Amino acid sequence: MKKLTKKSADLLSPKQQRNWDWRAAANFIAGGAGGSLLLWTALAGFSSGATRMAILLGLMLIGAGLTCVWFEIGRPWRALNVYKHVATSWMTREAMVAAVLFPVGGLALLTAAPWLVVVVGALGAAFLYTQARILAANKGIPTWRHPRSISLMVSTGLAEGIGFLICVASLSSQMIGTWGLVGAIALIAVRAYFWKSYLGGLHADGAPDGALSVLNGFDGRFLMFGHVLPVVAIVATLVGMPAQSGVLFVAGILMVAAGWTMKFTLVLRAAFTQGLALRHLPVRGCGVAGAAAKPGWTMTGT
Amino acid sequence: MEEIQSKSVKHVPTYCYNCVSGPDFMTVKVVDGVATEVEPNFAAEEVHPAHGKPCVKAYGLIQKTYNPNRILTPMKRTNPKKGRNEDPGFVPISWDEALDTIAEKLKATRAKGVLDETGLPRVAASFGHGGTPAMYMGSFPAFLASWGPIDFSFGSGQGVKCVHSEHLYGEFWHRSFTVAADTPSARYVISLGANVEVSGGPCAVTRHADARIRGYKRVQVEPHLSVTGACSAEWVPIRPKTDPAFMFALMHVLLIEHKEDELDVPFLRDRTSSPYLVGPDGLYLRDAESRKPLIWDLNQAKAVPHDTAGAFPALSGRFPVSGAVSVDADDACTTMGDAEGVTAFSKLVEHIEKYSPEWASGICDVPAETIRRIANEYLEAASVGETTVIDGVTLPLRPVAVVLGKSVNNGWGAYECCWARTTLAVLVGALENPGGTVGTTVRLNRPHDNRHTSVVPGEDGFMAQKFNPTDKASWVAKPTGRNMHRTLVPIVGNTAWSQALGPTQLAWMFQREQPSPDMAKPTLPDVWFIYRTNPAISFWDTPTLVKTISTFPFTVGFAYLLDETNYMADLLLPEATDLESVQMIRVGGTKFMEQFWDSKGVALRQPVVAAQGDTRDFSWISTELAKRTGLLEPYNEAINRGAAGVSPLKGADYDFSLDPTKEHAPEVIWDAVCRAATTSLSKGKETHDLEWFKEHGFYTVPMSRLEWYLSPTMEKQGLRYELPYQERLLRVGRELGNRLHEHKMTWWDEQLSEYAALPEWHDVPGRWDAALVNSGAKVEDYPLWLLATKSMQYHAGGNVGIELMREVSMNIRGHSGVIINATTAARYGIADGDKVEIRSHIGSTFGAAVLAQGVRPDTLVILGQFDHWAQAFAKDLGMPSLNTIAPMSIELTDATGSGSDIVKVQLHKVEGVSA
Amino acid sequence: MTRYVMSIDLRRCVGCQTCTAACKHANATPPGIQWRRVLDLETGEFPNVSRTFLPMACMHCANPPCEEVCPTKATTKRADGLVAIDYDLCIGCANCVMACPYDARSIVHAAHYAYDDAAMPSEAARFDPARVAVSMKCSFCKDRIDEASVTGRIPGIHPEVTPACVNSCISGAMEFGDIEDPESNVSRLLDETQHYRMHEELGTEPGVYYIWDKS
Repeated sequence: MKKLTKKSADLLSPKQQRNWDWRAAANFIAGGAGGSLLLWTALAGFSSGATRMAILLGLMLIGAGLTCVWFEIGRPWRALNVYKHVATSWMTREAMVAAVLFPVGGLALLTAAPWLVVVVGALGAAFLYTQARILAANKGIPTWRHPRSISLMVSTGLAEGIGFLICVASLSSQMIGTWGLVGAIALIAVRAYFWKSYLGGLHADGAPDGALSVLNGFDGRFLMFGHVLPVVAIVATLVGMPAQSGVLFVAGILMVAAGWTMKFTLVLRAAFTQGLALRHLPVRGCGVAGAAAKPGWTMTGT
Repeated sequence: MEEIQSKSVKHVPTYCYNCVSGPDFMTVKVVDGVATEVEPNFAAEEVHPAHGKPCVKAYGLIQKTYNPNRILTPMKRTNPKKGRNEDPGFVPISWDEALDTIAEKLKATRAKGVLDETGLPRVAASFGHGGTPAMYMGSFPAFLASWGPIDFSFGSGQGVKCVHSEHLYGEFWHRSFTVAADTPSARYVISLGANVEVSGGPCAVTRHADARIRGYKRVQVEPHLSVTGACSAEWVPIRPKTDPAFMFALMHVLLIEHKEDELDVPFLRDRTSSPYLVGPDGLYLRDAESRKPLIWDLNQAKAVPHDTAGAFPALSGRFPVSGAVSVDADDACTTMGDAEGVTAFSKLVEHIEKYSPEWASGICDVPAETIRRIANEYLEAASVGETTVIDGVTLPLRPVAVVLGKSVNNGWGAYECCWARTTLAVLVGALENPGGTVGTTVRLNRPHDNRHTSVVPGEDGFMAQKFNPTDKASWVAKPTGRNMHRTLVPIVGNTAWSQALGPTQLAWMFQREQPSPDMAKPTLPDVWFIYRTNPAISFWDTPTLVKTISTFPFTVGFAYLLDETNYMADLLLPEATDLESVQMIRVGGTKFMEQFWDSKGVALRQPVVAAQGDTRDFSWISTELAKRTGLLEPYNEAINRGAAGVSPLKGADYDFSLDPTKEHAPEVIWDAVCRAATTSLSKGKETHDLEWFKEHGFYTVPMSRLEWYLSPTMEKQGLRYELPYQERLLRVGRELGNRLHEHKMTWWDEQLSEYAALPEWHDVPGRWDAALVNSGAKVEDYPLWLLATKSMQYHAGGNVGIELMREVSMNIRGHSGVIINATTAARYGIADGDKVEIRSHIGSTFGAAVLAQGVRPDTLVILGQFDHWAQAFAKDLGMPSLNTIAPMSIELTDATGSGSDIVKVQLHKVEGVSA
Repeated sequence: MTRYVMSIDLRRCVGCQTCTAACKHANATPPGIQWRRVLDLETGEFPNVSRTFLPMACMHCANPPCEEVCPTKATTKRADGLVAIDYDLCIGCANCVMACPYDARSIVHAAHYAYDDAAMPSEAARFDPARVAVSMKCSFCKDRIDEASVTGRIPGIHPEVTPACVNSCISGAMEFGDIEDPESNVSRLLDETQHYRMHEELGTEPGVYYIWDKS
């Protein structure tokens, strides 16, 4: 009981959400990367073996994420109720995409039929998008509900997917090709752009101080390890550096790991609740009304 | 819903009187015999000022009933050694064994005599907060009445946790054991530390909320921003214990900076002692023959006795008076010859001239302009000259009040504050008039249920007072109680409540050390009853107090939980608690705090659910004790006289008396009380029995609002309030000094300094510094003040073991530790939540830091009373307590016997334990 | 159309938590779970400090984000404005908890009792296993509102069909009623006062109005 009882000061300012733990984060972390990997696999034109490897990895990632969620929800044996609200719930839509994705993905895995691979890729992209929308639909978490979180989540998913694809290519001796690598650099740049755009948006529109502090602290490391280093590595291979496949593998891992760390940060550490806001403090008797109050927010945004 | 509908559901009416700010109505929802919800009693919406609603504490009563930590059978101690570190080894016993053990003990005690060889009662009893235990102890008061002398002087915080000086001086000046603003009509209230939004109960909360909406202004003058401060229009963070200076400065503005005719001159002239002429010796000039105080009659231009018909007294001025006398202590009469008589009012003006806002500013740490503005706002809001009509009677409307809180009106400085508060009311005619400062109950005078009839003419044109005698023939040199209340405190009187209002800490202190070598240590009582009290937590210097309690030879605790006091008991008797037993009490009329209603009546507490375990109705326990002790007949007769509360069972037109020779079940006793109460209230028109009350819960009759105000009664009797000049107190103090010195008692001399006709400012906070020095400590080592403040969730509820109260109280600041100004905390390197040590010169208490801006940088604040070590649940809360580290000291005890709930401390971060 | 809303007069509230406790009684919530509570907010710097008592609970939004994200339709917006939860549908995914900007929702994953592991009779009598591991929040005492439609009594007027917190409030800070009815207590009070709704800018259209001054 005592653990559940918070002291008064802890109730006032935005606080880190505690209802979604690492299991929920894992769904966004793995699912987004997996969906994106499926998308890039459809476009990569790998050998059937490598395609199968990539599809298997993509499905495993998505499956692992969903399994984690299944273990997190309060009533797992009622999980099928998740399909009841397609009209507005992105969680329902995510589940519906998953419901189609796995059988189709299974068939693709068995047959490696190119059209199935393309369908799986499309479903993977859809999965990635639904996840981004799940997060953004949560008005209670200012860092999630910001509209630029969608482009951030999608762009990081795409970057992680290509990172994984590079890894798969490295392991299966597939060629990504110059244009592929240039594309990877572009995706890294896009993610960096949307990250900075997202951060800028939060600063402009306002977010809890605690959340901004977490994200600001993360910014430099994210850009360095998730962007600068992978780009350097890819450029190095493009200009003919030896041990290309190893370097590319490392670059791919960095792209994935940075994205995952960012999502972990976003879903857990920077997920501060809205807190409260009073546009006016009350007038007591013939006193005067106090100024507006929004504890835990330095900025006046929403 | 369907499931619930298929069950048996009842809504049982009852009352909550867990604090003096009640009683308040409630109903309890009972589903299939299990109490599930507390709800308001909307049937009382029209009669109860809070519309039938109880406060948050009442919602704890269901957990109180079913608390798994309850004591559910009688228990006896098996370890003869007593002490905090001695496991009492309580084992269950039968009721027969428990009651027989007590009865044998009582009979043996009685055989020796109800008083011991030193004249002190052999039986003592201690009850908790403000008389509220009586509302739960059934017919036990009748048992105590049947016994004879009982020592009530071992207090559980009386005098230091209440508004003690207000009780004594309030009752003296205007029959006001508790003083309140007439909130329903108030426009301006200066509240010095009164935390009425927390401790005033639902009636006060409802009324002040209404007043806020109406647009009244309350200025909260207090070192920290309490809940009441929060809900006020303005907060003035005054330096602790400097309130008298602030109030003197308010008076200065009214008396020196405004013209006399801006005050309520008729009120001052006709209802107060203002026109009485004071001679050069500081005593009233009196008529040589009648010894009546003289006034200067402007019609005849001469001094005449105050009650001379047709006289028109001068309010101010200096006048030549010939042939008058003055009467000093011990009736020492001095012929004054040709003397100059100064009106008491002029004495007041001259006295107050030196106390300007600029002077007070440096003492109080409040800007002079703030003090001046508040005084001017007060005077303006008083609207002197305005009238209102109540029930066809035209009365002055003076919608201003000054109210005082704990630690302002107890201990040193409290006399000055009470005097200044009441004089501020007097200056604008706001004392006991609509909108102004009103008294709401009497306890030291009788009858308790009607303060108007407690007013009868006495000496010098004032109402009669029942002081403890100080004349040589009658002074009680040999104490009749262990706190010497009759010996040391004249103003407290000697009625049922006086002893517990005497200096109750003295009873504890004298057990430990005596102030002079001539004084013998008072005996311990042979038997000590305790009920709804836990002095081992709620008084001061609790570690030492526990040691004293452990020396009591035979202690009987009527026990709900094992707590820090009954840990030392020999027997524990579990009574059926709030929701399990039957009792009737008075409601309405004018009672404590802001319980002044437009009706009066009675309410029933009834068994909402079956008593848990083998707990028994307190009336049953009382009857059994009476029977087994051989006191059944006097016990029943006491009940017939009304000793169980509410009404005598026999009146002029009715007789519901019990057969005194027979044993009566609780329901029989209370059925008779129900009938007597309703017959009496309705003047014979209606009689309702217990069954009727079980269904309806309460019975009231309308009451005129005129009963709220004493001034019309004073006017009818031609009496004056004994203000502003305190000639009587001056004389009584001198007389008391004479008696004490005759008996070579000089250790009360400092207290005698308080008996002043016009109180002077003295360095009140400096007394705490002096006490440090005298105890061998350095003042600079204890730079901070520690204050205790109340919590509505806990205040007087004895509910610290109730989980629900803990849970909901945590939403309110301060319930997790000690409140520290954030800047101060930063200076000490303390962050919010850090564990800190608060150390006084006698000990330490520990808790978490609660950082705030709404507290003075030199002040720490602790809510409630914690630091439990025996009580289940409570002992794990980790809350600090002022009581652990506040010393009991004669030096810090004022003339009324009270002390301020404040202590000088140092602060440390407990290293290694962070937020 | 009917839309039940609540007004809370911040000028009256003293933070006593009577409503918090009354809610816990009325709804038998487990220890530590408060469907409503009164926050104690200090602003400013010494000596210019204010303290405000702020009751918080589900705002019964007209555009409830919790309802939008709920994948199971366990959370619904009723025709009378109440936002309700069907505990038998809820899967406890906590998406609604994240969606609510008022921190109004909670999920308890195991039974908790006031004193250790054993339920007191008052807890045992009311323990509802259907509420374990699903989302919970203030329901505006919906059973009482439902009863109003049967008995013809008026929520906000008759205590039997009025939320427990409103009934319990000793400062008279709360009113409850149909904002679509211009004659309701709430409508009339809001006409006379200045008020705001929290986080209105999020488009939630909350159904709780905070009064801070007279008109």
